[in-house]
Amino acid sequence: MSESKKQRVLKISILRFDPHDPEDFPHMETFEVEEADGMTLFIALNEIREHHDNSLKFDFVCRAGICGSCSMLVNGRPTLACRTLTAKLDEKFTLAPLPLFELIGDLSVYTGKWMRGLNERLETWIHDKEEELNVDKLEEKMEPALADEIYELDRCVECGCCVAGCGTAKMNPYFVGAVGLNKIARYQLDPRDKRSDDDYYELVGNEDGVFGCMTLLGCEDVCPKDLPLQSKIAYLRRMMLKNTL
Amino acid sequence: MKVIYTDVLIIGGGLAGLRVATGIKGRGHDAVVLSLVPPKRSHSAAAQGGMQASLANCKMGEGDNEDVHFSDTIKGSDWGADQEVARMFVHCAPKAIRELAHWGVPWSRVHRGDHAAIINAEKVTITEKDEAHGLITARDFGGTKKWRTCYTSDGTGHSMLFAMDNKAKQEKVEVHERLEAISLIHENGRCYGAVARNLMSGELVAYVSKATTMATGGYGRIYSVSTNAIICQGMGQAIALETGVATLGNMEAIQFHPTAIVPVGILTTEGCRGDGGLLLDKDGYRFMPDYEPDKKELASRDVVSRRMTEHMRKGKGVKSRYGDHLWLDITILGREHIEKNLREVKEICENFLGIDPAVDWIPVRPTQHYSMGGIRTKYTGESQTLKGLYSCGEAACWDLHGFNRLGGNSVSETVVAGMLVAENISDYLDSDESHLTIHTSNIEKFVKIESDKLDALLTKEDGEDAYVLRRRMEEIMMDKVGIFRNGDDLQEAVDELEELCKRSKNIEVFRSKSRAANPALVNAYRTQKMIKVALTVAYGALLRTESRGAHSREDYPERDDANWLKRTITSWPDENQLVPTVSYEEIDISKMELPPGFRGYGKDLTKHHPKTAEREIVVNAVKEKLEAVGESRFEIQNALMPYLDKLPKKYRAINERLGENI
Amino acid sequence: MRKEKIDKTPARLDFLQSFTGLILALFITGHIMFEASILISNEMMYKVTIMFEGYYFFGEKYPGIISFLAAAISVIFVIHAGIAMKKIPSSYRNYKVIKNHIQGMKHEDSSLWMVQVITGFMMFFMGSVHLYIMMSQPSDIGPFASSSRVVDEFMGPLYFMLLISVVSHAFIGLYRLAMKWGFMEGKNTKVSRARFKFLMKAMIAIYIVVGLSSLAKYTYIGMTHDFSDGVKYKSQTIKMENH
Repeated sequence: MSESKKQRVLKISILRFDPHDPEDFPHMETFEVEEADGMTLFIALNEIREHHDNSLKFDFVCRAGICGSCSMLVNGRPTLACRTLTAKLDEKFTLAPLPLFELIGDLSVYTGKWMRGLNERLETWIHDKEEELNVDKLEEKMEPALADEIYELDRCVECGCCVAGCGTAKMNPYFVGAVGLNKIARYQLDPRDKRSDDDYYELVGNEDGVFGCMTLLGCEDVCPKDLPLQSKIAYLRRMMLKNTL
Repeated sequence: MKVIYTDVLIIGGGLAGLRVATGIKGRGHDAVVLSLVPPKRSHSAAAQGGMQASLANCKMGEGDNEDVHFSDTIKGSDWGADQEVARMFVHCAPKAIRELAHWGVPWSRVHRGDHAAIINAEKVTITEKDEAHGLITARDFGGTKKWRTCYTSDGTGHSMLFAMDNKAKQEKVEVHERLEAISLIHENGRCYGAVARNLMSGELVAYVSKATTMATGGYGRIYSVSTNAIICQGMGQAIALETGVATLGNMEAIQFHPTAIVPVGILTTEGCRGDGGLLLDKDGYRFMPDYEPDKKELASRDVVSRRMTEHMRKGKGVKSRYGDHLWLDITILGREHIEKNLREVKEICENFLGIDPAVDWIPVRPTQHYSMGGIRTKYTGESQTLKGLYSCGEAACWDLHGFNRLGGNSVSETVVAGMLVAENISDYLDSDESHLTIHTSNIEKFVKIESDKLDALLTKEDGEDAYVLRRRMEEIMMDKVGIFRNGDDLQEAVDELEELCKRSKNIEVFRSKSRAANPALVNAYRTQKMIKVALTVAYGALLRTESRGAHSREDYPERDDANWLKRTITSWPDENQLVPTVSYEEIDISKMELPPGFRGYGKDLTKHHPKTAEREIVVNAVKEKLEAVGESRFEIQNALMPYLDKLPKKYRAINERLGENI
Repeated sequence: MRKEKIDKTPARLDFLQSFTGLILALFITGHIMFEASILISNEMMYKVTIMFEGYYFFGEKYPGIISFLAAAISVIFVIHAGIAMKKIPSSYRNYKVIKNHIQGMKHEDSSLWMVQVITGFMMFFMGSVHLYIMMSQPSDIGPFASSSRVVDEFMGPLYFMLLISVVSHAFIGLYRLAMKWGFMEGKNTKVSRARFKFLMKAMIAIYIVVGLSSLAKYTYIGMTHDFSDGVKYKSQTIKMENH
């Protein structure tokens, strides 16, 4: 972190397009930004917006790698921009919006809408036949190790990187993606969810679900939360197969 | 003009907003949630450490109950909180957490038998009870007598928000995403919804509702460095303020979190210190015991933040190009603990600092973190002055936190308040009072005003650059309305903000002229609103000539109950005024269950109110009398300050706890 | 809740594809090694051949067994290819989408899948030819007969390409099977995956070296041997009665 070190001038090429402007078309635009110590893409992009082009569209919310808003393609690979340090990139690099999701403009995509559809389709909530819970009573017990295991899968932030990094999803728009399969694995693990294995099979035991997965493992390798996606999809596959025997 | 009618409009899709919406749906009413971002991206997700609820399941939480939680909360607030509200809160927190457990939050659980823990830099062994095995466990947090902070690793807010959002989806709560409320529709002292702007298409939509709930979170982003998400810009407070009718409470009460990383200001959870992490200075010396021999690193947040600042002012800070900082050392917790219980912290250290917290110390300094102030409401969540406008969560000041919030009480507040406010609003909807009486031409008027404002921003020439004004405002707040405050700085801050407020009326959106998705336009109108919010903070801080909780005046270091045991109430009745109108609301000592006392940090400089001693005598007498006849703690409490009648009937029952009420 | 019975076909097809792939891969690992017996000696290769013709069980050779084996493999091969077809991009649009995806991602496992598609496609033709010959001329296997086929019948280039594609396809396939079903995964799945991947690469290298060496040997024999007595190999140790 020496002060005298000469900072690089980053050349950031951004795929730009405003769907609301009838005259616009997708094109690359390159911005030059002087790098600073500890600079992330969050800082760099805001600098571009503030000093070069105030119409540049992108999404950040927590800027701490927690909320999953800022996923984009950095040199072709999906990742969270907020926690990508420019120091880890070459002087020249490209940014593009996450594919497959509805484009709002420039780097801003509507992942939330896709995820909402997914959640509703897979009914990603606890299915409990009981009537109302008595909140005055002691909570139901759960094995500590099981709670940890569920949390491990619950860490998904629905950023969409696994979907954008998935060849299957690219070819089949109805594919639930690793995000969807991971959710099924999470609820299947959870004793509070009373759905049967047949219920889960019906949700993802098909070509749009676990049997559509071609095991390209893009999901596993781009997941910013390091979720054990390969292992969980394999687990689901075994479970679903067992269910047919 | 597009108009959408609904029973309840909920602005904000974080924990509080979603909980309200779910509750209202459950009562058979309609609700629409407006959210700037998909709800799962809300700032609630960033709460790492945990949620306070006095379950008393784990060994170190034994003996905990509502009374202890209440007393911690009131002391934490420096007696600024509304004690009835605090009672309602501590009573409902266990219910809220049990409800969330039922909805799918994978709370970390108690494991029977021995486990190691670090307490006061020493390794100790704690033995958990057999019967507690599998119940929700808790960790230690600052300012609490017991281990009461329930958690899921260090992703508590995330797990809660996801479970909550999933529950809302199950209940088919309608969420309109990427919509921003830019003004409230109101007439004759009653709120009828909001004008909202679609952030993708730019379309203006009037949402007309019988009741409107503000659950928009805090206003941390008026500071240049904040742990808050960048959407926490105080827009909820601002549009409430701009009605000229609704009021804000205690806006100057701003919490600084001791341990945000340098320079980006991302939070590392209080769980780091709760689990045994230490604060070290440039010599690697553990300085907190020198200042606070009793609670050390786990003193209340405001106290730790001030002690750290004091210590750095003595030249003990670590110099860096981004200014001084101190070290947070969690290496003593061991890699296994860090990778299991402090994962987010580890990720943040790796990604933003390039260090491994199991080996390296983390550079930290106090950073803006929480807004105790907000839209002033009654205990029901309804604005004191604008009927039909409700608020809860960080956006509101109902007033649970007074002048300093306890760690772990914020996410807890969101779900508890959401639970209660949903019932209160539903009751209101069931009554005849709630009928809509506004004429559509008046609705149109509100839309037209906003539309004209946007046009003005886009067509203005030779105007001001919103970014310049906003950056200046952030610097002023940071430099002059920070952890330690003084009259001269605050006066300068108010003067300069007033000037910025004047200039902000002349903002021009340069180059980027689209009315659809346009970040420059968004920044322009938000900057105008943020400057007003900043003024309420700075002006309130200037007028409050005492130190209370997180509001610390170097020129008035003592807490002055005699003159200042009151809430700051701010409003903006005339849109042309450049500073807010401030009035005060007395806090009645004669109704307090816990009369003002000494918090137990540093020297007691309190200037007591004459009524304090009187009330103490009454309280002690009642306690002695009832204890003598063997009354339960519930009876005693009820005799001192009844509150149960203020709760919705379904939440009045006594909580079960291991060894109590089962 | 559910009204109809669930459709179990997708699960079964997925399993069948993996299972046939596993059999074919295991078959290939054996096949190439047996083929490589030529590297030891002509005699050794002859013994291996007559072993598959059942000589050691029945006391005499039945080349029909080879035909039967080839037919069985062909059936498995067709099933495997048939199910796998579902995953192959069926339109140019889809092909372009996946190609751009793989190029953009620069991601090894995604690229490996593309290798599977290409090698699978190649084997459609080359594998079929090879299998058909084995079915129709089962007795033409042996140190000299095979060598003659490689050189005089110009099968060498086909065998070369078949070798490269089948070895890659088989071991990449086995690696992908392990990933797909979570075979032998350890506590740390990232570590077990890295090990499997290393094993896959090592096996591809070993098999290609072994395969190419045996092909070279057959070619050498084919070029240097005098076939005027026909392609039958006369064993020095095993005296066989004339059929």
